[in-house]
Amino acid sequence: MNVPHGRLLRSRVVSDPATALSSALDRELTGYAVLEPQDAVLLAAGGQGILTFEEGIPVLAYHTGSDRGGPAALADVAVDGPSWLELYELPASDLAELHDATDLRVQPTMPANRLAGDASLVERTRERAPASRLEDGADAGELDPVEAFLEDESKVEAIRERAREQAEARAEEWGFGDAVEQ
Amino acid sequence: MVEAFAVASGKGGTGKTTSTLALGMALANDHDVTVIDADTGMANLLFHAGLADVETTLHDVLVEGGAPVSDAVYDRFGMQVVPCGTSLSGFSACDPAQLREVVATLAADTDVILLDSAATLASRSAVLPVVLADRVVVVLEPTIPALSDGLKVQEYATSYGTGVAGQVFNKVRDPEAVDRIAEKAGRYFEGPTLATVPDSDRAREARRAGEPLLAHAPDCAAAEAFREAADRLTVRDGGPEAVADRFRSAVVPDPP
Repeated sequence: MNVPHGRLLRSRVVSDPATALSSALDRELTGYAVLEPQDAVLLAAGGQGILTFEEGIPVLAYHTGSDRGGPAALADVAVDGPSWLELYELPASDLAELHDATDLRVQPTMPANRLAGDASLVERTRERAPASRLEDGADAGELDPVEAFLEDESKVEAIRERAREQAEARAEEWGFGDAVEQ
Repeated sequence: MVEAFAVASGKGGTGKTTSTLALGMALANDHDVTVIDADTGMANLLFHAGLADVETTLHDVLVEGGAPVSDAVYDRFGMQVVPCGTSLSGFSACDPAQLREVVATLAADTDVILLDSAATLASRSAVLPVVLADRVVVVLEPTIPALSDGLKVQEYATSYGTGVAGQVFNKVRDPEAVDRIAEKAGRYFEGPTLATVPDSDRAREARRAGEPLLAHAPDCAAAEAFREAADRLTVRDGGPEAVADRFRSAVVPDPP
């Protein structure tokens, strides 16, 4: 996916991809967000998540590392830990051609729901999305982003492994040491 | 017979407290159940159980020289309910590590203890219920962060020698997708999917009415799903002494 270069509005580290979605919605952004994980291992794996927006409502999702688009790309965008977020503004006309790529499209509330898991953000997105877009049903048989996430075994195992390491490290700090040795 | 379950999620908003009270009421048909709000920093069980105005809560018990546990136990909806207060000063004053003594005391006189746990793994007091419980019930929503955080809860639990009773998929709007998600999640989660609970306006109404879902709308589909989940939780016989010992054991020293 070749996105025309936009005007940078904001650049910061975020702990949750939901921030990208809520920032875009609050600004009624027409443009795109780029998310890049800050974790060294994930960073080394490469790739950026890109979400495009029309007046704050998500339109396309694409990941440069996996070269996947649409709902599956949302699973690639989901990272455990902080990401570098950049928000870019673009004239709607510059996005029009890109937005014809139906295979990269996502339902307006899908990122807020499946990627962010934020019920109030889902509701706010639904309220502001054009009726025509809300009527877009997911294609039958289309992979749900959560399924795509669960199919990425190495990513899920990395989350588990890191949690185990954290639990064990904190056991000492928190005085749970005896429990770990049981 | 005593078994302590931590109802946990790692992420807020998954419906943990609704689930805790629903499982508690369903289990109370066959067992003597005690429900404890172990989320001492962000307590909300009192609002779900019509106990917002009570005088004594867990906060008053978890202080040096505080009230006896029995003062914070309320018979409601066929269960013993131990609410926690919501004031910041109450939280600051209390010593969450004393929770183990509270649970050990209550274990002498009940069959099942349900600990409504914090929606975070970021602090010692938030993780403590997961450490103290025999098994965790992980409450999930079909979203990436909820599953990711649910897995973290499971890894913390198993790292600390706590078993996994299973998962509850809550607030489900698309049952077919969730069946596929639950099947794939089963590769990583221990224990069975206990139930798929449909998203429910009745659950929201119940919360506003200050009643557990199974008291407010016992015939709704969500209530039925929670009863199924409770049926799948075979309560194990730990023996009250064993649980009390476990809770009193020196796993958690006093804070510095």
